[in-house]
Amino acid sequence: MAVTLLSTVLRIPYRLLKVFTMPEDEDAKYYHDDPAWEDVEAIPQDDGALHPLAAIAYTDEYSEAMGYLRAVMAKNEYSERALQLTEHIISMNPAHYTVWLYRAKILHEIKADLRKEIDWLNPTALQHLKNYQIWHHRQTIVDALGSPKGEADFIAIMLKEDSKNYHVWSYRQWLVGRFNLFDQEDELRWIESMIEADVRNNSAWNHRYYLQRGKLGSEDAVARELEHVTQYAKYAIRKAPQNQSPWNYLKGIVRAANLPASTLKEFALEFADVQRPDDIYSSHALDLLADVYAEEEGSRDDAKQALELLATRFDPIRAHYWQYRKSLLEGQAIAA
Amino acid sequence: MAPGLALDAEESRLNYAAHIRYWRRNLKTFLPHQFTGNDCNRMTLAAFIISALDILGDLKAALSDGEREGYIDWVYRCQLPEGGFRPAPATDLGAVRSRENQIWDPAHLAGTFFALLILINLGDDLERVKRREALQWLTKLQRPDGGFGETLGEADRVEGGNDSRFGFMAAGVRWMLRGNLEGPVDGVPDMDVDALVRCIQAAETYDGGLSEAPYHEAHAGFASCAISALHLVDRLPTSTPDGRVRGLNNLPLTLRWLASRQTLTLDEEDAADTYEDETDSSATCHDSHSFMKLRDYPTTRGKLSFIDQPLVHAELKWVGMNGRENKIGDTCYAYWVCTPLKLLGHLDIVDSKPIRRWLLDRTQHLVGGFGKLPGDHPDPQHSFLGLMVLSMFGEAGLQSVDTALCITERAKQHLESLPWRRKLLAMD
Ligand SMILES: [Zn+2]
Repeated sequence: MAVTLLSTVLRIPYRLLKVFTMPEDEDAKYYHDDPAWEDVEAIPQDDGALHPLAAIAYTDEYSEAMGYLRAVMAKNEYSERALQLTEHIISMNPAHYTVWLYRAKILHEIKADLRKEIDWLNPTALQHLKNYQIWHHRQTIVDALGSPKGEADFIAIMLKEDSKNYHVWSYRQWLVGRFNLFDQEDELRWIESMIEADVRNNSAWNHRYYLQRGKLGSEDAVARELEHVTQYAKYAIRKAPQNQSPWNYLKGIVRAANLPASTLKEFALEFADVQRPDDIYSSHALDLLADVYAEEEGSRDDAKQALELLATRFDPIRAHYWQYRKSLLEGQAIAA
Repeated sequence: MAPGLALDAEESRLNYAAHIRYWRRNLKTFLPHQFTGNDCNRMTLAAFIISALDILGDLKAALSDGEREGYIDWVYRCQLPEGGFRPAPATDLGAVRSRENQIWDPAHLAGTFFALLILINLGDDLERVKRREALQWLTKLQRPDGGFGETLGEADRVEGGNDSRFGFMAAGVRWMLRGNLEGPVDGVPDMDVDALVRCIQAAETYDGGLSEAPYHEAHAGFASCAISALHLVDRLPTSTPDGRVRGLNNLPLTLRWLASRQTLTLDEEDAADTYEDETDSSATCHDSHSFMKLRDYPTTRGKLSFIDQPLVHAELKWVGMNGRENKIGDTCYAYWVCTPLKLLGHLDIVDSKPIRRWLLDRTQHLVGGFGKLPGDHPDPQHSFLGLMVLSMFGEAGLQSVDTALCITERAKQHLESLPWRRKLLAMD
């Protein structure tokens, strides 16, 4: 919501709106003087009497286009001009939920070339990076086309704008599932290049996890391939031990294989040792060691020491959480 | 004297007068045309406006009786003959609306959820709400996997997304209109609550968070909606099993993930400096400045960013909250993270003091309201959610709130006192 401060503070009271004229946009498109729309009578918005809520000072262009949209929708008109009108509305209000459904229906009814729809969607998506409906629509179109061809290139462009765009990653995952790309070398190489570009991109780590889990399936398969699957995350952690994304990934894989936290004990000790608190390289290693020691016979004091170090020295921002974890261990001691 | 005392003397405070002015302006004047992209979210914006004034204790003073009645009527004008509400007049086809074209002007889940909240806030008795029809419609919005969509399209096909936001709002509408009764009520079937719970569990992630859909990335917004939904259908985890399907699969892991959302990455500069820098440094690890050590410097950039910074930089005066791993703090995530913690009974595993200071000193705006990031202009969503968090933390002078429903306790009690609802729930 890019609203200038001026318009945040200086607003037009309802009763005065008619006195002001909205700024005119030179490229504005109108319908009332367009012969192609002569036969249509717009349906103006009815905002009730005196007390609308969250009313918006629409431009004349938007108000008029919406009036024509309601009119063609009311007639269930599926035509080329209606298609163009939806494009116009979407350029001003991409979050209009029924305009997208209406557009999909028109495309179907006029048997439109869906490749052309993708050509239009590409620049449109770039204009509305945070819009949600656009991805849903794209999914519908690509599903009907039955091929992911060209989609990877488009996604690359989108991720250049925002490498952690949630919608784009969700869409990529849908593509992988829909076209069964789990096993594709290209997909794996691509995700590794994304992680290399930014090792802290958690969306990329999540996608890699999805590919691995999708490929391996069962717990047993993950356990069998453990060495291979965890190697990559270990490599990334050795480069930047304080990056939480690969730690989460690593622990997630071990849990998916139904193995205990102690599977990673040796690895965690590379970065932290509770006996040598001046030589700690990663708070996440300490956290993992706390889990390992809590499960280990006779190591409860080491677990408490790890949590104490986290609370007081290595992760004080979460001191309350580490103290809570410590209190759970103390509770256990009393119960035992 | 302890160091930093001088700083603490300058106490962080909520500028009540500015917030009230900000929200009254939102209520009584037109939103600027830049809000056109929110034309179909007007009911949501309206609910934020009304509820914010209520939290600030200004709702009564801000409205004349005529205005209150007028707003209630506006909301009812958005109710559809077949039940449920549209989220704005934008789709209203007026006199020519018919069975043939009503799919372009359908009842909408967010529209319905927020319309009910506004009516409750304004003291309406919901007698004009087509309650049976709305509940009937709600069951049709549920997909076979247990999740909910947004609207019904052609041949009752469920349209819109399928993430926990919709499950949350569906659970909210159900709770408002029929409390926690399970099974058919008044001849109207219940939603499949077990299926909703399973759908939420399926979106739990390997790091303990919750996501939009199975295997998608953990995200605090979806985690909050999922946990609020479980709360509203009374299926949060309990220590003793009661034979009902309950979430979550791994509560300790979820608590860890929620606690991890506290961050010292507070502005764009902090967030930008990790790209193409694959090493740890005080610039890439804002949360661990105090101890960052390196064995070697694999990249020049890493070395530069490391030597530029003081080694000890444990600045815990302001702590932000983010929505995903390795992301920047953002006002709204304070709500999306603190809400599930509160509903799970663990709000005390985060330290509210530095989070409160971050909101008040960094994202609160001079003209009232809150921005997303420090220095950002206020917008209704961040401004509302910022207030919700401060109320949850017990800020003096703010009314207490129901965390999941986003309304004051006062408003919630009004709903609970309505005769039709007391009768339905056999409370009389
Ligand atoms: Zn935000």
